[in-house]
Amino acid sequence: MHEFDWSSIPNSLPFLWDGMKISLQITVSAVIFGIVWGTLLALMRMSPIAPLSWFAAGYVNLFRAIPLVMVLLWFFLIVPHLLESIFGFPRGSDMRLGSAMAGFALFEAAYYSEIIRAGIQSVPKGQMGAASALGMTYGQAMRLVVLPQAFRNMVPLLLTQGIILFQDTSLVYVSALADFFGAAYKVGDRDGRLVELLLFAGAVYFVICFTASRIVRYYQHKLKTA
Amino acid sequence: MISMNKVSKNYGSFQVLADCTTEVHKGEVIVVCGPSGSGKSTLIKCVNGLEPFQSGEIVVNGVSVGDPKTNLSKLRSTVGMVFQNFELFPHMSIIDNLAIAQIKVLGRSQDQAREKGSKLLERVGLAVQAEKYPGQLSGGQQQRVAIARALAMDPICMLFDEPTSALDPEMVNEVLDVMTELAQEGMTMMCVTHEMGFAKRVASRVIFMDQGRIVEDDSKDAFFEHPRSERAQQFLAKILHH
Repeated sequence: MHEFDWSSIPNSLPFLWDGMKISLQITVSAVIFGIVWGTLLALMRMSPIAPLSWFAAGYVNLFRAIPLVMVLLWFFLIVPHLLESIFGFPRGSDMRLGSAMAGFALFEAAYYSEIIRAGIQSVPKGQMGAASALGMTYGQAMRLVVLPQAFRNMVPLLLTQGIILFQDTSLVYVSALADFFGAAYKVGDRDGRLVELLLFAGAVYFVICFTASRIVRYYQHKLKTA
Repeated sequence: MISMNKVSKNYGSFQVLADCTTEVHKGEVIVVCGPSGSGKSTLIKCVNGLEPFQSGEIVVNGVSVGDPKTNLSKLRSTVGMVFQNFELFPHMSIIDNLAIAQIKVLGRSQDQAREKGSKLLERVGLAVQAEKYPGQLSGGQQQRVAIARALAMDPICMLFDEPTSALDPEMVNEVLDVMTELAQEGMTMMCVTHEMGFAKRVASRVIFMDQGRIVEDDSKDAFFEHPRSERAQQFLAKILHH
């Protein structure tokens, strides 16, 4: 029977916290950028201008048909070299965090755009008609009338996607970037306490994600009764 | 003020509008009626370009609606429109519903827009509801707000697309009263409606449509007393006898 020994956790908390900060950084930046870029993709996809619509459809289908791990690896392996040659960054500078953020953001935008497209389509067509009849341009009607309603309906789905994204950040271990999971793994490996550290990390992920999804549910409930 | 010349529209092989020609002068109240599917809502939506049409011409206040060079948004800001389902913006308070287009489209200040909005709310008898949200109002109240919202843009004419069809019977009159008042003040109006009592009270002319065609276009007395087409006679017999 394995004897549990949790003693290596308290001392490594600061290191683990640094890892958590990286996980959160990737999550937050990918959520924000993903929603912004995802909104643009959704608008392009619904646009009557065929090339824009094709581009958006192609982008979304491409990213949704490729495993996230692979996208991350491409970004780790290719993008840093690209940036080095374009912007003249010193060779070997650490761009793992940057490329992780970019990879996640571009990948998640594909998913967000589909959520946002569904949200826009859930707003009755007459709303666009009424806004247009008042003399608003397409852009004004979208920005002032349709999108605010769409986002209000979408908040639970967007947050849920954010929670999944937070879990998925653990995939950056492929680049040996010390996110929370990576940090826990490193400590466990160093002290020979891998099982304990991974259980601990799992518990932390669970508490955060479970709490967050409860908050989403509470919000959903409030939205329904409002 | 509004002139239509041989306006036609089709969805694929289905002809929604066929050679519709009519003229609406300043101060006239035109009631458009006809069986469902006769194209009356489509016709009225063509006037401000909410529905595109394939051939013919519509000129509103000297501006051609179908001309690709026409700034449709600008044209629409001068033509008020009221919809069957009200289409108030549910995420804004009533007063913001009235103010938003004044501010964003006409460039009025927040204060000007709200003041204008309050005045119009008072006019439709809903001044106390200013800070509420559309979902908190009854259908009849929402439709009166929608009329006020359209009036806030100082339109040169008003289009009504079955404004009372989605209302409970006891709320129909409060909306018709507002429309009647508006007609008596000399507003140019085009109303798609089945409310023949309203037509008899205020209409200058009645347009009767069937299968995408304007079958009758006559003064209201002529229309109600001596409808010429058989189709209109049948329609009136059905709609007036209950």
